Amino acid sequence: MKLILNYLKNYKKIFLLNVISVFGFALVELGIPTIVARMIDRGISGRDAAYIWKMGGVILVISLVGVAGTILLGYCCAYLSTSVVRDLRNDIFRKTQTFSHSEFNRFGTSSLITRTNNDAFQIQMFMNILLRTALMTPVMIVSSIVLVLKASLRLSMVILATIPLIILGVIIVAKISESISENQQNSLEWINRISRENLSGIRVIRAFTNDNYEKKRFDEANLSYMKFSKRLFKLMSVTQPVFFLLMNLAGMLIYWISSILINQNSLQVGQLVAFMDYLFHVMFSIMLFCLVFMMYPKAQVSARRITKVLKTTPSIPTQITEHGEGTEGGNRDSGDLNKIDIKEIRFEHVTFVYPDGEEAVLKDVSFAVNRGETIAFIGSTGSGKSTLINLVPRAYDVTEGSILINGEDIRKLPAQELRQSIGFIPQKAMLFGGTIAENIRYGKKDASMEEVAHAAKVAHAYDFIMEKGGFEELITENATNVSGGQRQRLSIARALVRRPDVYIFDDSFSALDFKTDAKLRGELKKETKEAIVMIVAQRISSIVDADRIVVLNEGSVVGIGTHQELMKGCQIYREIALSQLSEEELANA
Amino acid sequence: MLKKIKHMAENVLKLKPFIAPYKWSFLGAMFMAVFGVGAMTLAPTVEGMITTQLAKDTSHILKGEPGAGVHFDVILRILAVLLVIYLIKTLAQIIGTFWLTNSIQNAMHDMRNEVQNKIRRLPVRYFDNHKFGDILSRVTNDVETVSNALQQSFIQIVTGILTLALAITMMFTIQPLMACISILIIPISLLITRGVVSRSQKQFKAQQDSMGALNGTITELYGGYNEILLFGRQEDSIRQFEEVNDELQKHAFKAQFVSSLMNPLISLTTYLCIGSIAVLGCFQVISGTITVGNLQAFIRYIWQINDPLSQVSQLSTQLQAAFAALNRIYEVLEEEEEVPEADPPVQLSQVKGNVTFDHVTFGYGDTPVVQNLDAQIKAGQMVAIVGPTGAGKTTLINLLLRFYDVEGGSIRIDGVDIRDMRREDLRSLFGMVLQDTWLFSGTIYDNIRYGRLDARKDQVINAAKLANVHHFIRTLPRGYDMMINEEGNNISQGEKQLLTIARAILKDPKILILDEATSSVDTRLEKMLQNAMHKVLEGRTSFVIAHRLSTIKNADMIMVLHDGNIEEVGTHEELMKKRGYYEQLYNSQFAAAQE
Repeated sequence: MKLILNYLKNYKKIFLLNVISVFGFALVELGIPTIVARMIDRGISGRDAAYIWKMGGVILVISLVGVAGTILLGYCCAYLSTSVVRDLRNDIFRKTQTFSHSEFNRFGTSSLITRTNNDAFQIQMFMNILLRTALMTPVMIVSSIVLVLKASLRLSMVILATIPLIILGVIIVAKISESISENQQNSLEWINRISRENLSGIRVIRAFTNDNYEKKRFDEANLSYMKFSKRLFKLMSVTQPVFFLLMNLAGMLIYWISSILINQNSLQVGQLVAFMDYLFHVMFSIMLFCLVFMMYPKAQVSARRITKVLKTTPSIPTQITEHGEGTEGGNRDSGDLNKIDIKEIRFEHVTFVYPDGEEAVLKDVSFAVNRGETIAFIGSTGSGKSTLINLVPRAYDVTEGSILINGEDIRKLPAQELRQSIGFIPQKAMLFGGTIAENIRYGKKDASMEEVAHAAKVAHAYDFIMEKGGFEELITENATNVSGGQRQRLSIARALVRRPDVYIFDDSFSALDFKTDAKLRGELKKETKEAIVMIVAQRISSIVDADRIVVLNEGSVVGIGTHQELMKGCQIYREIALSQLSEEELANA
Repeated sequence: MLKKIKHMAENVLKLKPFIAPYKWSFLGAMFMAVFGVGAMTLAPTVEGMITTQLAKDTSHILKGEPGAGVHFDVILRILAVLLVIYLIKTLAQIIGTFWLTNSIQNAMHDMRNEVQNKIRRLPVRYFDNHKFGDILSRVTNDVETVSNALQQSFIQIVTGILTLALAITMMFTIQPLMACISILIIPISLLITRGVVSRSQKQFKAQQDSMGALNGTITELYGGYNEILLFGRQEDSIRQFEEVNDELQKHAFKAQFVSSLMNPLISLTTYLCIGSIAVLGCFQVISGTITVGNLQAFIRYIWQINDPLSQVSQLSTQLQAAFAALNRIYEVLEEEEEVPEADPPVQLSQVKGNVTFDHVTFGYGDTPVVQNLDAQIKAGQMVAIVGPTGAGKTTLINLLLRFYDVEGGSIRIDGVDIRDMRREDLRSLFGMVLQDTWLFSGTIYDNIRYGRLDARKDQVINAAKLANVHHFIRTLPRGYDMMINEEGNNISQGEKQLLTIARAILKDPKILILDEATSSVDTRLEKMLQNAMHKVLEGRTSFVIAHRLSTIKNADMIMVLHDGNIEEVGTHEELMKKRGYYEQLYNSQFAAAQE
């Protein structure tokens, strides 16, 4: 609710119009009974045909005005709810772009997608009802009460007495339904999750013949969903008729009292008729108001999930300039930011534990690397080598120890400036929808066609790009039209076009066959002569000629040296090498 | 029109088997709905009687007749009747919805289970031929749509139609001429509905499209966050997102606004109708044709018919969506099931693990994948299957586990045709680790235990140790109790493979299948794993499919597949000596290392 109000602030005028148009609606809904009552009182009792005609005309006018109001209301509602939700989505997205890796991992991309998409949509639905009904109800109630008071003070007492009762009831019902509907929602997610797993694991489930286990797992979720659905619907099914009964009883009381008043000649029949109509409208508005309350819990859950994103403070701050779209393209990126000239990277007793991890992934790691050197990291799955190189562009910050760049602690350097000087080639390269050239230019926006082509050639991507039809060829969604190896090469070209000080290859040759791998590395060497190169690899052959190889085992450094040195001095390195190549092959290498 | 109704009836009939077990409460709910609506439509007339009585009495009072006054006894009697009507209405509504909720929710629970059970009985072929997302949306969203429609729209439709019919009847009993005028609302409303819907549908389509565009954009941008962060392209992403988002807002606004026109327009006809009835009614009262109470009741009835009419379009969309969903569910339910089990099934008592492929032929669709394949595997042997992609390696595994049945020839285990065994018995012989690891959202412990549901804790841990994953598990937050999240992306692919290996070890199978099981772990670990597995699998048959040929050098038998046929068979040494296809494959791996 607070969330919505915050965003509505920007649309004060339309909101005002929205409120005004609500009055238009109230005008007809309440005006017509009033006039009909007058017609009955004056027209019928006075047998005044002219008056009846006149009032008929008034009804026509009021109807038109009212309908115009309602249409305006529809316009405002649609405008406000879609605009607010657009702003909300923009803010969510803007926020996520300041996140660092740990926040992305904490939320999970699919959860962020749901939050930006479905949760925001829930808010839109709710706002629609809110702006229409929730505003209408008070207006209807207040204006009915004014009319009712005017019609007869004593009769209104009855209505006034029932209203608090109903409001209290609504609040109680809303409270109960909130927890039930949250449980229902969770059960539904539970059901969907198991369905999805049952489908994706169809072979495994059958191979392990765990059908009955799965059946039980599903029915558990299914039963829980049924239980909460029944509860929710039953609650609603009692609420509505009981409220109506209450109003009906009030109506009966009014009939009785008005009989007495009419007997005393202090009330007219027409007034009574109008009064009963007001009552009917009040009842109806309150009913609609209940609907808002029914919707509220669902929207509340969504709002909470969105607020959680908006309130997150990124652990490694990223600066984003506010609405700077006006300037042409993005030389701002390279212009405004100071590029750091990285000459040396030094790890000093670095220990790293993942946020809420139990054991350290890296323990007391120290090494240094200078411009013009290549350093490689090797070790078993889970030895921490990927984590290690991810610390360099500050995907995470160290837990203990420090990483120094040109002697300065990395945590003092703005992450964006630091990353400007790094070309990172991840294990699972992600390409974006768009042309091949655009994807390569992702590394450097203003790269010339020559630069792009050069990078592609070095990365051994030029030939297949030409085969596909050139740099303007489109990459399809999820990059299904390029193979794993081609994807890796494009990702390498993307980093090359940047001409960074530091190249980081996170197992980026794994999908290449041995021949391409070797050729590519030959070309790369020429290109990266002046830079710092950090390579994580599984294949010994990819790293044999590195200046230094760091062998990691369970997070600790167990050896640093060249291939030859390590073959002699490091047991684990030998084991790795021997698992891939025979003695003779190694001797040749 | 007739065709439409017939079509609808057919659809409704499809629900019958699910509702049948709960038919009494369902019918009861319908019965109650009739009661409730009946009481509701009766109420205005009775209320009108009070007004009439009062009006009559007033006019007597005004004329100053002696003893004139309100006849309280009459009013009291009418009020008593009214009370009874109100109570009946309330009770009927409550009881009706209770019964309806019970029957619908039970039926939907059954439907969900039925769809799931059906999924379990469908052949694997079905899942290979249908898009995953499509099947998923049938078993989740579609059932949900049907359920919501039944629970909410159905009763609204029933009461709406009843209200309409009863209100019109009542109107005719009061004054046929006025009733005729009022009925005009119905065709006019329907015309308005049709007009608005035809326009709004286009807008909704545009909204749907830009919604899809937004979805695609955020999926890509969130999926590529690593790149965006590392290349510092946040601002471009924001710009890209805002553009798509703007587009969506435009279409959403139009769609919403156009469809919101419907209600005011329908209301307008209602207002105008009320206006003319009021004028006409007043003259009728003056001329004494109807009473004041009747006029009041009549106007109330007009309001009553306005209500269901303004919901027509909304309900019909919901209903159409529900029918479409129901049809999609039925497509799944009517899908052909797996070939029935052999009767009586052969049961192997002492399984040794001899596997024979006897002239096996098989293909997906028209293209043969395996042709006339022959192989004899002795118990306890380790068999490696190698060959280029598409050579039919995984197909052999599919056939062995009877995910597919052979088209020619036979596969025998210890001499028994696997088609003569129950699938469950057959599969219980195997332990399987696939390249595409499957973990379910649950703790790591539960995921390993999936191999043998009655395993003790120490057995689970032991299996983890054998799979070299114990240490890794200990480093995780909450260790064995860590929840694997829904996408299973909180641990790496290599680690997932180790967990599935632990699961297979725990199962302690007679025959083990490793289909690229260690493709994402490094070679050293792979070797260690193999040594460990070797110990576990002492004397058990195993099938290993691997890309890295270095890891299968010590297999007892290497089957080299090429275009669905066995090109060569032998040990590593034999095949290398032969200088055939295998040698080529093997050496191509090291071309680079020997430059």
